[in-house]
Amino acid sequence: MATASVFCSPGFDFSHEIRNNFLQERGVPLPKATSTGTTIVGCLFKDGIVLGADTRATEGPIVADKNCEKIHYITDSIRCCGAGTAADTEFTTAMISSNMELHALSTGRKPRVVTAMTMLKQYLFRYQGNVGAALVLGGVDATGPHLFTIHPHGSTDKLPYVTMGSGSLAAMAVFEAGWRPNMERADALALVTAAVSAGIFNDLGSGSNVDACVITASHTEMLRNYVRPNERVQKERSYGFRRGTTAWKKEDIRNMVVNEDITFTGAEAMDTS
Amino acid sequence: METIDINRLKSGEVNLGTSIMAVQFKDGVVVGADSRTTTGSYIANRVTDKLTHVHDRIYCCRSGSAADTQAIADYVHYYLQLYTQMHGERPPVHTAASVFDKFCYENKDALSAGIIVAGWDKEVGPSVYNIPLGGGLFRQPWAIGGSGSTYVYGYCDATYQEGWGRDETVEFVKHTLALAMSRDGSSGGVIRMCVITEDGVERLFVPGNELPKFWEGKEVLGLPLSTKKAGDEPVPMAIEA
Amino acid sequence: MSIMQYNGGSVIAMVGKDCVAIAGDLRLGNQAMGISSNFDKIFDMTERTYVGLPGLASDVLTLHEQLRYRLNMYTIKEERTMEPETFIHLISSTLYEKRWGPYFIEPVLAGMQKTPSGDFRPFIASTDLIGCINFAKDFVVAGTASEKLFGVAEGLWEPDLAPEDLFETISQTLLNAVDRDAYSGWGAVVYVITKDKVVKRTLKGRMD
Repeated sequence: MATASVFCSPGFDFSHEIRNNFLQERGVPLPKATSTGTTIVGCLFKDGIVLGADTRATEGPIVADKNCEKIHYITDSIRCCGAGTAADTEFTTAMISSNMELHALSTGRKPRVVTAMTMLKQYLFRYQGNVGAALVLGGVDATGPHLFTIHPHGSTDKLPYVTMGSGSLAAMAVFEAGWRPNMERADALALVTAAVSAGIFNDLGSGSNVDACVITASHTEMLRNYVRPNERVQKERSYGFRRGTTAWKKEDIRNMVVNEDITFTGAEAMDTS
Repeated sequence: METIDINRLKSGEVNLGTSIMAVQFKDGVVVGADSRTTTGSYIANRVTDKLTHVHDRIYCCRSGSAADTQAIADYVHYYLQLYTQMHGERPPVHTAASVFDKFCYENKDALSAGIIVAGWDKEVGPSVYNIPLGGGLFRQPWAIGGSGSTYVYGYCDATYQEGWGRDETVEFVKHTLALAMSRDGSSGGVIRMCVITEDGVERLFVPGNELPKFWEGKEVLGLPLSTKKAGDEPVPMAIEA
Repeated sequence: MSIMQYNGGSVIAMVGKDCVAIAGDLRLGNQAMGISSNFDKIFDMTERTYVGLPGLASDVLTLHEQLRYRLNMYTIKEERTMEPETFIHLISSTLYEKRWGPYFIEPVLAGMQKTPSGDFRPFIASTDLIGCINFAKDFVVAGTASEKLFGVAEGLWEPDLAPEDLFETISQTLLNAVDRDAYSGWGAVVYVITKDKVVKRTLKGRMD
């Protein structure tokens, strides 16, 4: 086991393919990974970009995480919202973030949004849609504010307001009705909140809270849980069990703090004066 | 032998269900396209720019998979930049089209891309090349493509004439695309056009509410108006209380 | 039937006041047939970090060895113990490496995380089978009884439970959830981790 693991080549490891394909041929379906059934949005305003996302992660019909983070860090002034297979959005954005940092270091310049967009689209195109990441990429660079959507197959669109994920239709309806050119920051943030809320309340795959991120040339502000419309109410009473309710057969205690009683015997302590 | 369905799109893929067109005239070419991209029945982008710059005087019109055509166009753009550096002059349109053809033909199993390449070069002046789904390079005086094109072949055959100037060609493209967009559900939005001549590239834009209108039907189909008598007008259906 | 149900088994972890608990059942099955009632799927990785690996039993053993190997390499190179928050990222990248042929495991982690001031704070997390981390503040579940565990835990968990109360809550949550799951049960084991001791208790469960 260990000898086989001494060399680790970077990137994906396909060694379980044969076994898992065999199982699949025997009629055993591959289990579902966590997906973010998601509403993610982005919109352009006077001074920059506002990104928005809900915070629900699902595994089929089960809500796996009620307050996950879907706005991922790329650089100080570029962020990326992810929908689709949760692990893919997480690892893809982390990898691009890392490559963007290296790119910035080697060029000595602040990296551009198009650079991140190109890296993402080329990576996703290489995997032909099998890396299931649907992204909204936004940020401000030397050439101004930019907003892109990137589909899992690697196609990109550049638009002033965008939505993705299962709640994208509900959110787009809000944008189509409410977006105006050159909006103020507060208005844009309110519109993004309304768009994500439309997803949270009308799309089953989206839910919980609204995360937002305002990116301007000078500053990026991450507003985690900007609106929390689904707070759980205090329980009417405690459902705690009386101690001793659960019977147990065996107990092992592992103490980290070891007490040692020291008994002095024989000669008196050495005179150190 | 197993047949290959080159028309297939990978599931959930973004589609350019498109009407695209390019026409050459005396001094240059006019390229045009609608602006709709769809994922299934949802319009993912209603103001898409399918006229993609690949060099100073060469553009391409993309149809098929958005991801595939963008990737090809990016590669060709890179290749032509390299060409310019190595040769110290602009590439001929035929060269650009050949590169497109090479990608489309050699990767026909993995791609769904129908591309029209058009532009101006100093060797042959204006030219239009059509590269259909599985590859192949065809020079044509005019070319149409995408799902909307099937509705307007007849119109193009009946209307196109050699020797047109810029303005007539622009009108021809505009009318053809408007007709295609009105019949094809996968096409729509606005019309984007580029006029590429020796002097430069001029972009033209027709908003969705200013598209040329053609016959769109009458409110009531039936007898000609002249034979109608007073009292023949349709009466709203009586609804019982 | 999914491969995740092949051997059965479930794990849950919960946060309390200055303590965490992780509990799992002991069943190893071959589909509906019970094989063992002594298949512990919770492993101590460091002194204060415990990991539950419910899923395909062969992968439980393989992944445990793989994690142990990588943890040891870290410990030797860095000359310090790995904190739970670091460890969940190690698990995550180990799983994502096999994105196209995954381990059929959904790990659950519970541990006490060292803070810069030298104190310990409770930390729990879980991932899906390809390594998407779920940082929860209350509880995380996985395995064949995960749906039931979600429901019961959602009802019984409350904040700031003392170690002994947390033991009761997590034990009752697990026991009652696995009683309604055909593929989990056959006894259970609970670990309650505080900053200076870990209490492991083996519970009696229904044997049907």
